[in-house]
Amino acid sequence: MNTNLKKINIYAIYLGAFILILPLIAFFINAFSFRWFYPQLVPKELSLQAWVRLKLIPKIDNRSFDNFLELWLSNPTIIKALLNSLTIGLIVTIASIIIALPAARVLGLLNFRFKKIIIFIMISPTILPPIAFVLGLNINFISLGLSGSFFGVCLVHLVPIMPYVVLTMTGIFANYNPDFEHQARTLGANKFKTFYLITLPAIAPGMVVAALFAFLVSWSQYLLTFLIGAGKIMTLPLLVFSTASSGNPALTAALSIVFIFPTILILFFASKFVTGDSSAKYGLGKL
Amino acid sequence: MNNKFKFITFAIISLFFSKLVSAEVAPGFNSWDDVKAAAEGQQVNVYMWGGSDAINSFVDDFYGVPLKNDYSITLNRVGIAGTIDAVNQVLSEKEAGITEDNGSIDLIWINGENFWTLKQAGLLYGPFATGLPNSKYVAWDNPAVNLDFGRSVEGMESPWSSAQFHFIYDSARNNYEDMPRNYGELSNWISNNPGRFTYIKPGKAGFVGTRFIKQIFFELSGGHDQWVGPYNDELYTKWAPKVWRLLNSWEENLHRSGETYPANNADMHALFANGEVDMSFTQSPRGAGPTNSSGTTPLTSRAFSFFKNMIGDFNYWAIPYNAPNKAAALIYADLVLEPILQAAQVQPANGFCCGWGIGTDKVTNLEGIAAIKDAQNNLGDAAEDQGILAKALVSDIAAEYQDKIEADWFANVLLK
Repeated sequence: MNTNLKKINIYAIYLGAFILILPLIAFFINAFSFRWFYPQLVPKELSLQAWVRLKLIPKIDNRSFDNFLELWLSNPTIIKALLNSLTIGLIVTIASIIIALPAARVLGLLNFRFKKIIIFIMISPTILPPIAFVLGLNINFISLGLSGSFFGVCLVHLVPIMPYVVLTMTGIFANYNPDFEHQARTLGANKFKTFYLITLPAIAPGMVVAALFAFLVSWSQYLLTFLIGAGKIMTLPLLVFSTASSGNPALTAALSIVFIFPTILILFFASKFVTGDSSAKYGLGKL
Repeated sequence: MNNKFKFITFAIISLFFSKLVSAEVAPGFNSWDDVKAAAEGQQVNVYMWGGSDAINSFVDDFYGVPLKNDYSITLNRVGIAGTIDAVNQVLSEKEAGITEDNGSIDLIWINGENFWTLKQAGLLYGPFATGLPNSKYVAWDNPAVNLDFGRSVEGMESPWSSAQFHFIYDSARNNYEDMPRNYGELSNWISNNPGRFTYIKPGKAGFVGTRFIKQIFFELSGGHDQWVGPYNDELYTKWAPKVWRLLNSWEENLHRSGETYPANNADMHALFANGEVDMSFTQSPRGAGPTNSSGTTPLTSRAFSFFKNMIGDFNYWAIPYNAPNKAAALIYADLVLEPILQAAQVQPANGFCCGWGIGTDKVTNLEGIAAIKDAQNNLGDAAEDQGILAKALVSDIAAEYQDKIEADWFANVLLK
């Protein structure tokens, strides 16, 4: 009876995974198809044309290693966008963690008046749709000379990211016992050593989760990047949107694979922090 | 006293002549050599609709390379979802008080209402278009060129290419001879082939659909001539109800009984390619050629045109008033009019899908003529007979008609 139930559970998990993976399979078929129209059940023509058009694979007659290298080093739009997305994501992730750390510590460890209101204000960017605040922000950014700059885009990405990072890290600190720090201090460790040896290892798993959130939110920003970047800072979501409007499914699918691949990779390596015994998992309940 | 007066008169006259002698090619530049010298080492920020990868790579390959090699200019092509985004950017910059050379946009691929918005607000740099050396190839005497949706261009934008509305059909499903050749015949075709036709929803994203409806006005009212010139409300109000009546009479026989309409040309191509409808619209002189080779329509797709009232228009490059690299922008606007490059944009192998920006008869050098001939010969069998298209060509009309038609179509056809 019990083993039967277990079997059913496992099948249910397989089914869930299958449903999640199905759209990805469709992406892959589309990305290598050519002139795939109804009523063809499977594409009649398979082709790398989408990848050639994206300038990720050289034209058919010169596919040597040197040509690949030359093509990629010639800095096609997609490589530029990929690098931009990655750098912005990394910078913003690190910045958001540093900014959130003190706030989360106070919110997680202390109780004080108006705490709920402060938390509400902090998460308000996730309630407001970006379009509601970005048009106004855009004018401010232009007059501050931040529009169209790399720094400006990083700065505006922090707006939707901060709530996630602060909330996640608050969860960690809600479960955190600062007495360990006092103990270390009485045993002669200085502030830096205490942070490095006691605080950091305790909050690290939760920090990874917060960093994941930060990176993924930054990775998928379209509107904020588009308006504040003034079209000058090309990132992958911008490229995906403009390609999707051209109505070439193969091209859009190929680009989407490039877009989701890094996130899948990151999730894969970070999965033990998300599913494992992370303090972030049950911290929020104590708020 | 008298001497002084004479001196002033002399000074004024000589100033006047010096102005004539060193006539500016564009505001701030006395000669083309000045422009070239100033442009060296600049980066030109080109804002253009980025939805066609064929056009994108054409610009990168055919303009980016010579700009770098011959003028030391770096091309920064910025793909945007719609030209309106660039217009809004210029408007925001104006609001934020960014003037002089401190803007972010050097060139906008533009025409119609977007051009008029910026020109009217005084947010364009110019006049520059007639000062470009290659301006001699442009058919400035043609109203289709010197009027942009009925508004005079006055040198504030320089042409790039042209497009003309016509249709695509699939030769595997239909015969060329059976296709309708005017709106009357199309009406019959729709009732004989229920569910097999639809048109693009008129609107900002579907200007091709608006164009499809404008042409009905021309046919029903008996000719295009009376529609040229400024907006005429009396004329519009007279014919609009008849147009809505015709469109409503089609509705039950349209794809999905006219409950939904494709929002843009890409959606329409998708319906056509997947066999849901039998016609799509094209704007390319190559007909179905560009979509056939990019794989968005079946390889057997061909083009056909009505014999009359097919709207064609030109599209242009404009320079915002606060463009940071005006010299490089001028070089770019001039470069795209080179006969060889114009032939290259029509040449099917290069994958660009728009037509001539210059009057091909104005080209006199042998190299240019040969390139133009070769491009015309290579248009291929996916294109309609160029003679039929040329005979059917009419210019687009005042921008107010577009707003009116879009709003009234919603009220009188979609919501009916």
